[in-house]
Amino acid sequence: MKHMLAILAAAMLAAAGPARAADTIKLGALYPLTGNSAPAGQAAKAAIAVAVDIVNTAHPEFKGLPLADTAGLPNLGGAKIEVIDADHQGDPSVGQQQALRLITREHVAALLGTYQSSVALTATAVAERYGIPFVIGDSVAANITQRGFKWTFRVTPIAGDFAVSYVDFLTQMKRSGRKVDSIAVLNENTDYGTSIGGSIVEAAQKAGYQVMRIVYNAKSTDVSAQVLQLKDKNPDVAIFVGYTADEILYMKTLKELDYKPAMIIGDDAGFSDPSFIPAVGDISQGVLDRSAWDAGKPGSVTYRINEMYKARTGRDMDDTSGRWMQAFFVLADAINRAGSTDPAKIQKALRETDLKPAQLMMGYRGVKFDASGQNLLASTYLIQLQGKSYKAVWPEARATATLQWPMTGWK
Amino acid sequence: MILLQVIVDGLLLGAVYALFSSGLTLIWGMMNFINFAHGEFVMLGMYVALLAVTWIGGGPVVFGLAAALGLFLLGVVIYFALIRAVMRGPMLAQILSTFGLALLLRYAAFWVFSPNFVTLPRSVLSGTLRLDGILLSVPRLAAGLAAAALTLGMHLLLTRTALGSRLLAVAEDRDAATLMGIRPDRMQAFAWGLAAASAGIAGALMAISFPFSPAVGETFALTAFVVVTLGGFGSVPGAMLAGLLVGLIQGLSAYWLGPVYKDVVVYGLFVALLWLRPQGLLGAA
Amino acid sequence: MTRRGWVVLAAALLAYPWAVAGSDGAAFLQDMGALVLLAAIGASAWNILGGYAGQISVGHAMFFGAGAYVPLLVYQHWQAPPLLGVPLGVAASLGIALIVGHPTFRLAGHYFSMATIAVAELVRIMVGNWDFLGAAIGLQGPATGRGWYDLTFRSAVPYYYIFLAVLALLLAVTAQMQRSRLGYYLHAIGAGERAARSLGVPVRRYKLYALLLSAGFTSLAGSLYALKTGFVDPDSGLGILVSVQMIITAALGGAGTLLGPLLGAAILVPLQTATNTWFGGGGSGLTYVIYGGVIVLIARFEPGGLLELWHRRAAARLARRGRVRHAA
Repeated sequence: MKHMLAILAAAMLAAAGPARAADTIKLGALYPLTGNSAPAGQAAKAAIAVAVDIVNTAHPEFKGLPLADTAGLPNLGGAKIEVIDADHQGDPSVGQQQALRLITREHVAALLGTYQSSVALTATAVAERYGIPFVIGDSVAANITQRGFKWTFRVTPIAGDFAVSYVDFLTQMKRSGRKVDSIAVLNENTDYGTSIGGSIVEAAQKAGYQVMRIVYNAKSTDVSAQVLQLKDKNPDVAIFVGYTADEILYMKTLKELDYKPAMIIGDDAGFSDPSFIPAVGDISQGVLDRSAWDAGKPGSVTYRINEMYKARTGRDMDDTSGRWMQAFFVLADAINRAGSTDPAKIQKALRETDLKPAQLMMGYRGVKFDASGQNLLASTYLIQLQGKSYKAVWPEARATATLQWPMTGWK
Repeated sequence: MILLQVIVDGLLLGAVYALFSSGLTLIWGMMNFINFAHGEFVMLGMYVALLAVTWIGGGPVVFGLAAALGLFLLGVVIYFALIRAVMRGPMLAQILSTFGLALLLRYAAFWVFSPNFVTLPRSVLSGTLRLDGILLSVPRLAAGLAAAALTLGMHLLLTRTALGSRLLAVAEDRDAATLMGIRPDRMQAFAWGLAAASAGIAGALMAISFPFSPAVGETFALTAFVVVTLGGFGSVPGAMLAGLLVGLIQGLSAYWLGPVYKDVVVYGLFVALLWLRPQGLLGAA
Repeated sequence: MTRRGWVVLAAALLAYPWAVAGSDGAAFLQDMGALVLLAAIGASAWNILGGYAGQISVGHAMFFGAGAYVPLLVYQHWQAPPLLGVPLGVAASLGIALIVGHPTFRLAGHYFSMATIAVAELVRIMVGNWDFLGAAIGLQGPATGRGWYDLTFRSAVPYYYIFLAVLALLLAVTAQMQRSRLGYYLHAIGAGERAARSLGVPVRRYKLYALLLSAGFTSLAGSLYALKTGFVDPDSGLGILVSVQMIITAALGGAGTLLGPLLGAAILVPLQTATNTWFGGGGSGLTYVIYGGVIVLIARFEPGGLLELWHRRAAARLARRGRVRHAA
């Protein structure tokens, strides 16, 4: 009995992990590094590593990006940032546990997270109870910032914002003489797909479009029934909200069943995954994708960031990782302005954040938080697959290529 | 016309379900053993196919054989290293060991291949046949027909060959088989190899048309459980029939009721059928 | 176990939150202690049906889920304290158990296991498409408590003691059961249904009793999870992994024994946490390679559960002592 207790005690202490000295500014990041969303989590982790490099070493070539030209945070005597990575496995309970570990064991000054909205809901609750700022890069469920939390800040646009963008775009297309009357929305049935799909359907119906909606199970082995339904109804535009495997399968099945609407719009996730273009890029020419990230022209800040990311991972950066990176820059800027690692001072600085588009690497109209902690100026681009990469085509003011309509698909 | 298309697509996928399920039903019927890692065998078959395409090149025959061979060896190794010992323990030890094995295999693949989705190059096999208004995707047609042929081959191997009768003798009565000079250990190892190989080939066949990552096994494991139980534990023809049926039901219910309900219908019919016919479709009463 | 053993175990469990209070990251260790107890409650509840009666259910997530959903449902829709939903959750679980028990108990062995998987998956998919139950998005509890009755604490210590009290109750009930007729009958059923029937055991009825008891306590485990986490969605409340986790925890420690599930939880939860803490941030997936590997090794070398190893060693020690006495 006694041995057993001793062994257990040792195991429990060991589980807490080593404590580290606090000579740098410690931040914690909660990603899904294992489980079904591991690809997104791993990409985000790489993006954060690039961002840490940009802040911690002098990069004068990144013009306009705050903190890039100096080494470390100038207002804290050039202190360097250290990000402690943690894996929440896509599990709300593990997310809570790891947030607690980062706060009480690693003594981080602030947290970043989380990809899944479910984990964001539980992990931010821990940060709220401990009074630690939690900056959300990419979790879109509306209710995360509707709970009166004082310590949660969200940089990304949310489901409703995306729906508004889509409807704006379609209305503009219609005005310029393209036939856009009926829309199909195909969304997968987890929290991501249902919340975004629902918002789009609602906004499009309000704007007077004829909308059909198809909800399907994520990780399908066969999507031909859905594609046949689509072919039967033949909408002018089809909007796909889903994850990588399903979207690749849809593109293949569309070609196999020889059907293509005038335009396909992908809602980020699956279409932005770096696996998408190598798998089906040649048969998906002209699809649009929702993204606030665009690598842009050689020599630009974003292009350089993409080069650094590519050197580290061998792949292009995508929108999800970009939104994480932007969240990190927003947090680093706030800590620098706070001039302190005191959570309350960082919270105050975050509230006073006012970044202009030129200071961002993502295509937001700026970063400024409302009382709930939501970024008021978050917005998105639409990018179009032309050749082997996506090019920004909308809004026109930010476009780097001209929109092709209808899409060409596989010819 | 659309209905016919849905039926054809459902049956082609069902044939692949039947193939990987027939492996599961073999060890289930022979050793009364639940294998929670069967979906991972399918996943590994996909990666073996990818490696074969990258290293050796060649068409589906080459990487199909590579997947079969690779998984056969893995199945035999797993039998000797793990299953032989666990089999003697309680049924819970089966769940414990194969669930642990599933995690181990899935994350070993994760470690080696990264969690990202990959696809086989489309040059391997592609195109669409137009047949009287029905569109047949060549990769899926090939996968479905090959799977049906292989499942049939497995059935013939078990019922028409000396090797098969020795396998079944061990399943029937281990001690009696030993007295007749059959080495049960070897036969059971062979069965594990065969089961893993069937999953491996099925994985290779699906890899032609589906994107995959280390996490895909889970979906196939649940499907295989349903198919095997429906068909009756140990019955390869039962698995064949049940596999086709599950593929068909999924397709039709996705088309008529909406894709989210396809698994509801499958599980619902499954429970109802178990209630009415507890021994499965073709299982002995 | 001897009376002294029980006292030591009880004292150790009671003292744990205080014993770690001085260390760096005490809150995290206390939290892990609460998670160990929670896993032990779930596995012990499963153990009544799966361990003692030998009916391997792989669908207990439906009871866990009912227990987790109802308290958050009464909060979400009527702003009632989640605590009020706990007995309602138990009632819902018992209802589900009655409905599910009747048809599935006709099935034996693997057929029973497969049927429970299918029913649980059906429930998960339907809840995931049912807006009243939060559909795919899930349900939330009070993020910051409005009063003590919301049971929303910053520290894990109150949860720890609540969980400990429930576990003590569950183990007391199980111990009582072991000694009663129910216990004997379940043991007979677990050893072989046909033999039990020929001995005159009303098999169906007693299996149903075991299921009701098991489902009720599993539902409590779900409620406690929801109270502590403040969130549930179809995957975290009703996913197949929830069921599998209960089975693994019980089987690893020793199914059909009183303390096996607690031992299993006390090993598995720290193992999961430690591997995740050390290797999770690296992102290589090593967490699960090690976790899976340890499970495989235990199943390979100690298929009856770790408690058996313990008993063997204790027996060997007794035998040694006996020899020493003889020599003297």
